[in-house]
Amino acid sequence: MQNLIAFIKRLRYFLVFVGLQFFALSMYVSYMSAPRSSYFTTASYISGSLFEFRHQITQHFNLEKNNKSLQEENIALRKSSSVFLYNKSRTEAHVEDSIYAQQYDYIPGTILNVTTTKRNNFFTLNIGEIHGVKKGMGVFSSNGVVGIIHNTSKHFSVIKSVLTSNINIDVLISEVGVSGMLKWDGVNDNIGSISGVSNDITVPKGSTVVTRGGSGIFPRGIPVGRIKHTKTVEGEASWHIDLSFSQKYAALENVYVVKNLFLEEFTQIQN
Amino acid sequence: MPQFQIYFFRLLLFVFLQSFIFNQLEINAVIHIMITPLYIFLLPFERSVISLLLAALVLGLTVDATSNTFGLHTSSLLLFAYLRPVIFRVFSPRDGYDSLKTPSIFDMGNRWFISTFSILLLCHHLWFFTLEDFSLSETLIILQKTLLSSVISFVVCVILQTIFIKRTS
Repeated sequence: MQNLIAFIKRLRYFLVFVGLQFFALSMYVSYMSAPRSSYFTTASYISGSLFEFRHQITQHFNLEKNNKSLQEENIALRKSSSVFLYNKSRTEAHVEDSIYAQQYDYIPGTILNVTTTKRNNFFTLNIGEIHGVKKGMGVFSSNGVVGIIHNTSKHFSVIKSVLTSNINIDVLISEVGVSGMLKWDGVNDNIGSISGVSNDITVPKGSTVVTRGGSGIFPRGIPVGRIKHTKTVEGEASWHIDLSFSQKYAALENVYVVKNLFLEEFTQIQN
Repeated sequence: MPQFQIYFFRLLLFVFLQSFIFNQLEINAVIHIMITPLYIFLLPFERSVISLLLAALVLGLTVDATSNTFGLHTSSLLLFAYLRPVIFRVFSPRDGYDSLKTPSIFDMGNRWFISTFSILLLCHHLWFFTLEDFSLSETLIILQKTLLSSVISFVVCVILQTIFIKRTS
C-alpha cells in the first residue's frame, strides 16, 4: 500500500498531465465528429458576440465586391422570375402551381468569421436556432457551395466548410453527367478535388461542377467550381481531379442556409 | 500591481492577440503564428507543474473558444506546460535559477532563451499540426508546417517581449 502511494506521489504530475490531456483530446475528437454542445466554440454567446463586434468593423472591407456579386445574382433572378416575363399562355401559368411545390426554403445569414489556411476551417454564422438553423443543413452563397452547419446555438452557428478534410459533398460534373465526392487536400484554398470518378470517362478541362443534391442537403445545381486538370493515379481506376472553387472563401460575406422541406420524407424512404 | 493581476491581464492580452490578430493574419496554408506558448513560458520559475498545467488549461480553452479548434490549443499548451520544467532542468545554470528573475529573453540572456524556447515551441507546434492533420500521408506537410511556423512564431514572440515586457536591469 505504501509503495502504491509512493508510486502515485512520484507520478502525480504525469497523471494530472495525462488526465487533462485526455480531457482536451476527447473534447477535440467529439467536437470534430458530432458536437453535442456549443460551449468552447465560436457559436457560444460570448465569442459569438465578440466576433459580431469584430465583423461590424471589418465588414466594410469587402463591401464593394459583395454588393457586386449580390447585384449580379439579382439580375439573374429578375431575368428568370415569372413576374418580369411576359406570359404567353394563360393555361400554363395556372398549371404551374400544381406542377411545382416549394421544396427548399432559404434562410439568409452573414458570415462573421472565416479562416482559410487551417487544415479544418470552420466559419461562424450570425444566425442560429431561433431562425430555424439546424445541424446538417447546407450553406451556399451566390457564387457557390460553402459547407454544412456543424453546430448551433441560440443566435449563432458554426459551419463546417468545404475547406475541411472530410467534407464529402456529392457533386456532379454537369457536362459529362458523372458524380463524385468533393474533397480538400488542405494546401490551397482555391483548389479542391473530386474523387471517385472512373478514369474510362473523359472529363474535359473547364467543365462546371455543381452539387448533385443526392443527400437532400443541397438542392441540385448549386455551383461548386470548374475542373482545373485531371491526373491518373497509379494503380487506381479513378481520376484525381482538381477543381478551382467558384467562391473565394476568404471574401465570404452573405450566405443562404438551405432548409429542405421534404427532408423527413426523403430520409424515411431511404432508410 | 500585484503579480496575479499582471498575469491575469497578460492572459487576456494573449487571448486577444491570438484570436483577433494572429488567427486573422492568414499568410498561407503553411505559416500559422501561435504566440500562446509564450504566456506559459513567461510564468515565474518557482511555479509548480500543476499550476502551469492549470494555466495552460484556462488559456487553451479560451483560445479554442474563439478560434474553432475545439481543444487543439488546449492539448498542445498542456504538453508545452508539462515539458517546460523538464527543459528548464536540462538548461539550468550552474547555481540554479534566481527566483527574482523571470524567464524572459532580457533576464536570462539570448543563448538560454533561444535554446529552451525553440525546443519547447517545436514540440508544441509538432503536436498541434500532427493532431490537426492526423494522417500519415501528410507527414511531409506536417513537418513543413511545424518548421516554418515555429520560426515565424519564434520571431514574433521575441518582438512581443521587446514591446510588452519591462527590462528589469
